[in-house]
Formats: sequence, C-alpha cells, structure tokens
Amino acid sequence: MVGLATSFGSGAMTNSIGELEGADVLLVTGSNTTETHPQIGRNILNAVDHGAKLLVIDPRKTDLARQADIHLALRPGTDIALINAMMRVILDEDLADQLFISMRTEDFIELRDYLFRLDLDELARITGVSLRDIHEAACIYARSCKSVICYCLGITQHTCGTDNVQAIANLAMLTGNVEKEHGGVDPLRGQNNVQGACDMAALPAVLPGYQDLTDTDVRKRFEQVWGADVPPVPGKSLTEMTHSGPDGDIRAMFIMGENPVISDPHLNRVEATLKQLDFLAVSDIFLTETARLADVVFPAASFAEKGGTITNSERRVQLCHRAIPPIGNCRPDSEIIMELGRRLGCPGMDFDSDAEIMEEICLLTPIYGGMYYDRLAENWGLQWPCWNRDHPGTVFLHKYYFARGKGRFTVVAHQEPSEQPEEKYPFTLVTGRGSYHHYHTATMTRNSRRLVRECPEALLEISRKDCKDLELHSGEMVEVSSRRGTVLVRLEVTDRVKPGTVFTSFHFWEVPVNKLTVDALDPRSKCPEFKVCSVNVRKAAHA
Amino acid sequence: MLDYPERVLPKDNLIPLLRKLAKDARLIAPVRKSCGDTLFTEIVDVDNAVFDLKNKPQTSLKPFLLPQQEILAKYRVQDGEYTFSPPDAARPTIYFGVRSCDLTAVLYMDLIFSKPSRDATYFDRRNNSLIITLGCNDPLDNCFCESTGSGPYLEFGFGLQCIDLGESYFVSAGRRKGVDVLEKWGYFFRPVTEDDEQRRYQLFLEARGRFTRNVQVDHACRILQENPVPESLLEKLSSRCYDCGGCAYVCPTCTCFSVDDMELSKTNGLRIRSWDACTSSGFTRMAGGHNPVDRRRQALSRRFLHKLKHDFALHSKPSCTGCGRCVDICFGGVDITTFIDLLTASESV
Repeated sequence: MVGLATSFGSGAMTNSIGELEGADVLLVTGSNTTETHPQIGRNILNAVDHGAKLLVIDPRKTDLARQADIHLALRPGTDIALINAMMRVILDEDLADQLFISMRTEDFIELRDYLFRLDLDELARITGVSLRDIHEAACIYARSCKSVICYCLGITQHTCGTDNVQAIANLAMLTGNVEKEHGGVDPLRGQNNVQGACDMAALPAVLPGYQDLTDTDVRKRFEQVWGADVPPVPGKSLTEMTHSGPDGDIRAMFIMGENPVISDPHLNRVEATLKQLDFLAVSDIFLTETARLADVVFPAASFAEKGGTITNSERRVQLCHRAIPPIGNCRPDSEIIMELGRRLGCPGMDFDSDAEIMEEICLLTPIYGGMYYDRLAENWGLQWPCWNRDHPGTVFLHKYYFARGKGRFTVVAHQEPSEQPEEKYPFTLVTGRGSYHHYHTATMTRNSRRLVRECPEALLEISRKDCKDLELHSGEMVEVSSRRGTVLVRLEVTDRVKPGTVFTSFHFWEVPVNKLTVDALDPRSKCPEFKVCSVNVRKAAHA
Repeated sequence: MLDYPERVLPKDNLIPLLRKLAKDARLIAPVRKSCGDTLFTEIVDVDNAVFDLKNKPQTSLKPFLLPQQEILAKYRVQDGEYTFSPPDAARPTIYFGVRSCDLTAVLYMDLIFSKPSRDATYFDRRNNSLIITLGCNDPLDNCFCESTGSGPYLEFGFGLQCIDLGESYFVSAGRRKGVDVLEKWGYFFRPVTEDDEQRRYQLFLEARGRFTRNVQVDHACRILQENPVPESLLEKLSSRCYDCGGCAYVCPTCTCFSVDDMELSKTNGLRIRSWDACTSSGFTRMAGGHNPVDRRRQALSRRFLHKLKHDFALHSKPSCTGCGRCVDICFGGVDITTFIDLLTASESV
C-alpha cells in the first residue's frame, strides 16, 4: 500500500472489479486469483473468453497460469528485475506512452536513464525467465490501450515489497495504462474488509481516510469529535508488536479477529512475546490458538449476527444486514469495543446504532463523506472517494490527475531476498494459501466438516525431480527446516513448482510453517517476507 | 393426468384462497427479500407478504424436501444400549408459485428416493405437500426448460398448475390433492370459456418463442450415448472449475448426500444427513488419500454425464430441468450449458 500511495497518491485498486472484464490485456502477478479471489477470477476468465490476453507472473504454475497466453515463471523474489526488463523492452521497442508521461507524471528521466543502463540478458538470467517470453509479454502489455495489472501478496510480502509495487506502478505509467476505465493497477485485498480496516486507519501512521497524523489541523478535528488527545507519534506495525520479545516495551495487547500465533513470521518469537505479556485479551468467534493464550476472551458475533459495512477491494462500502440475533453470549465487535471503552473511561462510546457510528465516520473521513446508511442501502454500496451526500462515488481512481498530483516514477533496483539458498538449506520455500477451501489460519473454515474433508491437511509441493533426487515419495511425511525451526509436513509431488522451490500453506496449526519463515521486513511497509526463505527437506526422523 | 375440468381463478380471489389454504398447512412461496433476493419462504402473514412471481427464485424446492442438513434419527445411549427415535414428523405444506422446472425436479427426486427402498423422511415430507405451480409466460435469463422438456408449461405431476392470463389464472389439477382444492373451494373459481383456452394456448406459443438461450440438450444426450467426452473439452472445462460445489447445491435434481453421526453428549446424539456434491474430490477419496476419480477431468464431467447420459439411458429423459441456476451461480462459467454447447459444437451434425 505504501508503494502505490507513493507513486499514485492512493494505495487502493484503481479500477472496479467489473472493469476487468472489459480489459484487453490482464497482467496478473503474485496472485493465485482463481483460488484466492474466485469472483475476481471469474471476471478475468470472462475477459479471456472475450479474447483478452492473459499474462501471469508467478513462480508456481497455478490454475490461472495454465490458462495464460504467457506464464512468466520467475525465480521467487525477482519481480523487480522482471518488471524492469519489461520496461526496458518497451523503451527499446518505442512503445512507451510519451504523451501520458509528459502530461501526467514526473521523474521519468531518472527511470529512463536507469533502464537504459541495464543489461537485458543479465536481468533475464536473474529472473530465470527467457528473454523471448519477457519481450513478448512486454509488447503485449504495452501495445494495448486497456491493460490492467492485478497483484496480491506475492508482490508485497517481500523485503522489497514496496519497491515491487513501485515497479508495477512504473510499468503502468510508462504505457499510460492507468487513470482510465479498463486500465490500471489493482491490488487485490485478501480479506473481505481489509480495505475497510485500512480506510479506518487500522494502520500505525495515519488517521481514518489516510489523513496525515502529523497534520495539526487534522488532529485537532479528531480531538474535537473524540474528546481526547490524539498523539502525533505513529504507532507500531504488526510484527514490531508481535516480535517485541519478552523485553519489549509492550505489556498488554488486545487482539481482534487475528491469530498471530499461527499467521505471523518467526512464530517462536511471537509466542514468546505473547506469553510474557502482563495482560492479553482476544476477541474472536472461535477459540483460536492465540485466544488460548489470553487472560480474557471476548466471544465475538459472526458476520450473520451483526450489521455494519464491509469495504471490498474495489473500494465499495457495502451495507450488511443482520440475519440472525447473536447466539449465546457473543456480541458484535462494536459493542465489545464500546463496552471496553466505557469501562476504561473513554468518552463518546455511546453509539446507539451502526448508522450513528457511520455518521461519525462520514464527518471525520473525507473519502467516506457521503456514505450514510440510507444512501448505502439505496445504491448497493458506494465506492470511495464519495465526498458528500450528492456524490455518486468513484468507479475508477485518478481521473484527470493522480491523487498526489502527478504520478511519480521511482527508480527501483533488483535486490536479492533476505535469505539465499545455501548448502545446508538448498530450497526456496514459498508460502501462501494452499486451497480454495481454507482461509488464513483456518480458524473459521476448519469448523466446517465438508471443507475439512476437501482439504484435510497441509501439503508441501515439490517438483518430481527434487523428490526423486532426495529419494522421497509423494505422500510421505518430511521434515522441513530453516535456520529458525522445523515442521513436519506431508509431501506432494506436483508440476506446480519448479525444481529448487517448494511451497506450502499456512492454514494448519499442526504445520506451523511460520516457524520457518524469516522475520525480515520491508523497511517501509513493515510487511514480512513470507514469500521467500531457505529450507532443507528430508525424510522425517520417526517415519 | 387427471381428467378433471379446468377452472379459472380471478386474481382478486388469490389471496382469499391462499388464506383459506394456509389455515391447515404451512404456506411456502417466492418472496422478494429486502436485500434483493427472491427465495422460497414460509408465509406467515398472507396480507403483508411480498410475493415475487416475476423473478426466478434463487433456490428450488430442494431445500424443503431434501434439507441442506436434516436429522434422520436421534439416538440415546444407556448402559451401552443404543435406542433410536425418528425425527419430528413433517408438517402439511403448500408450495405456491413453483416453476415448471422445479416441479419436474421434484418428480425426479420422487423417483430417486423411491428405489431401491423408499426414503422415509423424504416421503414423509413429500406426502404432506401440495405443489401449486405457475407456468412461465416469460422465460427468465439462462432458462432453457423448453430444451429439457420440463416447461414452460407442464402436462402432469403438479397438484395445481396456474397460468397467468392477465386478470386471472387458468388452473388445472394434476393430482388428487389439487382436485380437492378445486372442489372444497369451488366458489373462488369460475368455469373455463373457449376464449380462456385460446388465450392460454396463445401465451404458451409466445412463451416458447421467448427463450433467449437455445441449448441442444437432446443432441448432447444422443452424442453421449455413443461417444466419450472429448479430452480437450474436459481439459478446458476442468481448468476453470473451482470445485466449489455451487452447481450441485443449487441444482434441483442433484441429490447426493452424506450421513454423519453427531455426538451431542456422551448419552445422546443425532444422525445427520447433509448435501454433498460429486464434484468434490473428498466425495470419492479413499482412506490413505487414493482417489479413483481424477478431479481435474472426471469429477466435473461426472455430474454432467449423470444428468445427460446415465439418466437419459435409464429414463429416456435427462435429469437437467433447464432451470439455469448453475449458469447463474458458476464462478468459472463451466455450467451445463457451456458443456452442452461445446459438446454439440464439436460433434456438429
């Protein structure tokens, strides 16, 4: 998000989901869209049916990659080299959109000079993709006036995640494929309301609507409405908190709907941190592994038991209707927060309805300025920015000018992942979602018998060649170890991964794969490098 | 078909009739929900219910006759002895506004659940039901019942069939329970005139001309009797199947289920039946992980072949009713019409 915000001035999807169907070229990178975003996946496949070209950049041969016109199966962590190579080809072929560059962007010269200094053969060697494929993909992308880039966590969960995103933004601006319908840069958000959570400033350094925390006037406005001081100092990022360690300065935590004991990198450290806290409260709909460590657990209401809004990837704020009253002692999140606030002496925690909470959001968050409940009900939701009651919402972003004014080109150079394969740990482990059937740490989906039956356990994907070289067999338990830990997992031979790379999911607490992952962060977004670490695979000791 | 004279029900009399019928039975009809969905819903207040007889209900009658999850038996354990008791008895139920495709699907379920042995819980509900259908004068998006021989109007199988003539409904009785309604509440109806009959036929003709989709179901059935499904077709479709089971769950004739025992405490529990889908890989996976069915290709085609090949061989009729719900719901666009279109195109006559 930081990357796109720096280049364009906003970190959200520039297009609407429906626009994907009208695109002529779709470049999907770091996203297993058909499994992780099936609805968006369908839009992409429909576009393909209508004759659009599909380019997929992914180290794995995902279902979507199998349908691609060109699948660029790069070495994990070499996205920048690949995108830079594509841009160099576009310059060489004279396919850059010079008019767009001069009308709507700045700092192009530095990038152009940098790209001309690069050696294409060297870049191709770094990525492990043939120069011919890179060349063809670049030309397909640049020749169309309706090219869309979709990306997901395969781009951001690297130490160079912010740079990856800026490289993508460069590519879009270089060809004038942004600021319009059917053309843009679209980060796909992983959770149904993660966009809404970001919008509402569940981030360390901004106020709701991405307003500047250091701006005195903005802070004053919030202080006036909230009746409390708003400190100008940014908070901590997720891993800064969960990795603060036993000697860290955090003594208490309130965790809502998160399961960091399974989902965060370098788990041993997370567990050590949480166990040393003076006080831990967790709010969730099931008793998660994290909730088991808590002093107090709040039973939260599920989606069906509460109202409120959800903001999806395309910035659409949608109203949710309560289907059934909360079961047992559980309560909606808003009630839990208000009750907690009241007991801690926080003023203003007396909203009578969700609509009243939304009124405050409209008041304090300019991009949500017109999102009143009655309007949301009439409109099947509205897309931000929606400045006031009369504003129809915004289908695609950056019309006439980028949110930051001019789009900024940034020179980004390839950098190797924080950990390299070596003799002792020769494989590169990529982690991600492993199946359509489970979500995140499966705290919800493993409570469904049918979903568990469909996907009962984690599997380590390995190439046939590696499996043979290691004298292992598909289906047997193996020990996977990194410098940080060891987990046992069942092996699956597949053509989805290339030799040298293995893949597994993080859904199952029995295979806490984040014991293996590195705790290196992107220095700007603080996003952990979940996608690359070096591991060894061998026959399980007791098998 | 029963040889009982048809009747005309003036529209003003519809609500009074439903009110009478609802006195002795639960009334289920399509209702427009505030969130924009049309669903079969129990009508508690006939006067204030928002009947929706225009849009396609998103679900068929399957959730009522074969619930997504139902109790087959309750058990108690005492001193190691198990005692079983049957589930609660079904309530008499009247379904109103049922489409021809969905009634055809119920007739198919009757067949499935009567052999080899009669399914007691299904027939308890079925025997307690009266189905009043509504012929389709305006086939909806993705509908193709004309091609499957299950609409837009029906000849038999319904309790009562209503055809909207504008100011009134043309009502035929197809089963004894329907005749009972016409006899008991005869004063709501009037006799049929020649004009009514001509008007009904005209509407039927026009309705048949209004389908937006031409799906060659017959042709596909005949191809499949003789030929295997082309590999390239399976490859194309399976690569776009998300294995979500949505098609099977909304399908009015998909009746696969699983049975689980659910322990409520050490001394009692339930035997539960719930929907399943043959498109799921777990449906055929053996202990130890072996799966005789290759998910990529066979799992998906198995559902199509069941409907278009095996059932056609058994009953001379496909068990797809052309309701189009799988077309509405499929994320990947690999519904039965895509299969039929590609199959018939590859084997063009």
